[in-house]
Amino acid sequence: MTEPSALVNLGISEAAAAIRSGATTSLALTEAILARIEQTEPTLQAYATVTADRALAAAERADRELAAGHDRGPLQGIPIGVKDNCYTKGILTEVGSKSLEGFVPDYDATVVAKLYAAGAIVIGKTRCHEWSCGGSDPPTRTPWDLSRFPGGSSIGSGVAMAARSAFGAIGTDTGGSIRIPASINSLVGMKATFGRVSMHGVVPLAWSLDHVGPMTRSVRDNALMLGAMAGHDRQDANSARVAVPDYVAGIDAGAAGARIGIDRGYFLYPGVTDDVRSATEAVIETLASLGAEVIEVSLPELALTREAQMTIRMVESASYHRARIREKGHLYSPGTRATLEIGQVVPAVDYVAALRARERFRVAMQALFQREKLDALISPTIPVPAPLRGAEWQPRQDMGNGETPTDGFVRHVYPANLSGQPALSAPAGFTPSGLPIGYQLTGKPFDEATLYRIARAYEGATTWRERQPPLAYD
Amino acid sequence: MKPMEQPADIERRAAHLKDTARMLGLAIESEQLVALAAQLCVIEALEGAELADAPPILRMDADWHD
Repeated sequence: MTEPSALVNLGISEAAAAIRSGATTSLALTEAILARIEQTEPTLQAYATVTADRALAAAERADRELAAGHDRGPLQGIPIGVKDNCYTKGILTEVGSKSLEGFVPDYDATVVAKLYAAGAIVIGKTRCHEWSCGGSDPPTRTPWDLSRFPGGSSIGSGVAMAARSAFGAIGTDTGGSIRIPASINSLVGMKATFGRVSMHGVVPLAWSLDHVGPMTRSVRDNALMLGAMAGHDRQDANSARVAVPDYVAGIDAGAAGARIGIDRGYFLYPGVTDDVRSATEAVIETLASLGAEVIEVSLPELALTREAQMTIRMVESASYHRARIREKGHLYSPGTRATLEIGQVVPAVDYVAALRARERFRVAMQALFQREKLDALISPTIPVPAPLRGAEWQPRQDMGNGETPTDGFVRHVYPANLSGQPALSAPAGFTPSGLPIGYQLTGKPFDEATLYRIARAYEGATTWRERQPPLAYD
Repeated sequence: MKPMEQPADIERRAAHLKDTARMLGLAIESEQLVALAAQLCVIEALEGAELADAPPILRMDADWHD
């Protein structure tokens, strides 16, 4: 049998193979993850709730099912973390908010139900910023550097994956909240096409920008999870009726022939730090050496995305929260409350203009992809490595124009929320001081498979995923 | 592509937003409302030629290359 300390480092695919070969069991995997949680949580605080007893019982069930020949696929018996904004029947779901203290849903979000159906085990609920927006300061720390901003709002999912206290995790992404913590924690995070994964039972931040997706330590694991999570759902009005392919089937086909655009003027602007710039250029070079064709492109409409995204987010969030704030506003932290209320003052015509700007942007993006026959756009996921905690909202001293690290984050991640295109963040290396750097691929709607294929080719040519954060925190 | 924000427009917008916030009893920092005013000025300036033929919908098609 594999040693417990080694078990937590396995990927989903490897753990699934180990279960089936008899090298381990779901129970052993679950016990190993629980031991890891016990070891790391005092410092890292990735979890809002740990469901140890339920998880152990589910692991025993998974082992019994597999022994009886009932194989649900590679997620069966695999412990995962679920962001605390996803409804989980019988399990606390507080979305980081005092106003939801003690709330226990009586149904599962569709995405959770689908993962259960695939045999996954929920080990716990991962912490998120209050109501999944940036107005609060959760106690979560990244194991890559405790002094650094750990990402958000899927902060616990990112940290749990980096700390090896889950084999996979669910995050949500309205303005980069899967991809930012994925980049900062050296993970693969996928924000799939808008409507690809049901949002039913996921507490909204802004309905027309919200996505839910997988966070993992490898591209293959991510593809496995998305395959289980995706699909049409009548209970979500935005859910797409588009067939879900087998994302793993062509994942090793390589990057040869892929056409990848780079808008250096926008995505490699002066705010990108030298280490992030070199890492991104190195990804581009490696992909070119693997046979991808990298094309210089220019999409001036990218400049519209920040204002349009923020206007839409503000108004939709204000609409969702207005009634609740009337009743329980005193239980919101002041910063979060202001962030969620400010949309009340936006005139309706400006909201509609922002929606129209989004369509203008989407059409321009589509035209670019068609004209250049692109499979993907590439960029750094975020322009800077993780800033010091608290500095994410402070003007950068190296810029002199008042730009904060957060300004840079949104510049790179908002476009895909606005257009609804799939976007994946994956490890691109490390700074000299050991902070992770991520790159982002943005693809055609419903073509997540191509992003996985390109990202897997790059992953196979590098060793980034072998690097681990420090495992002890004294 | 991105229109320049005019200080006078931002000021006008910010004053309206502050009035609205006061009327609704919202405790929002003046600085945030000025930033929002600048944001909305950009959006407003796009109306007309820039947003012609752009309806307020989100359309997800799987056939971008067809």
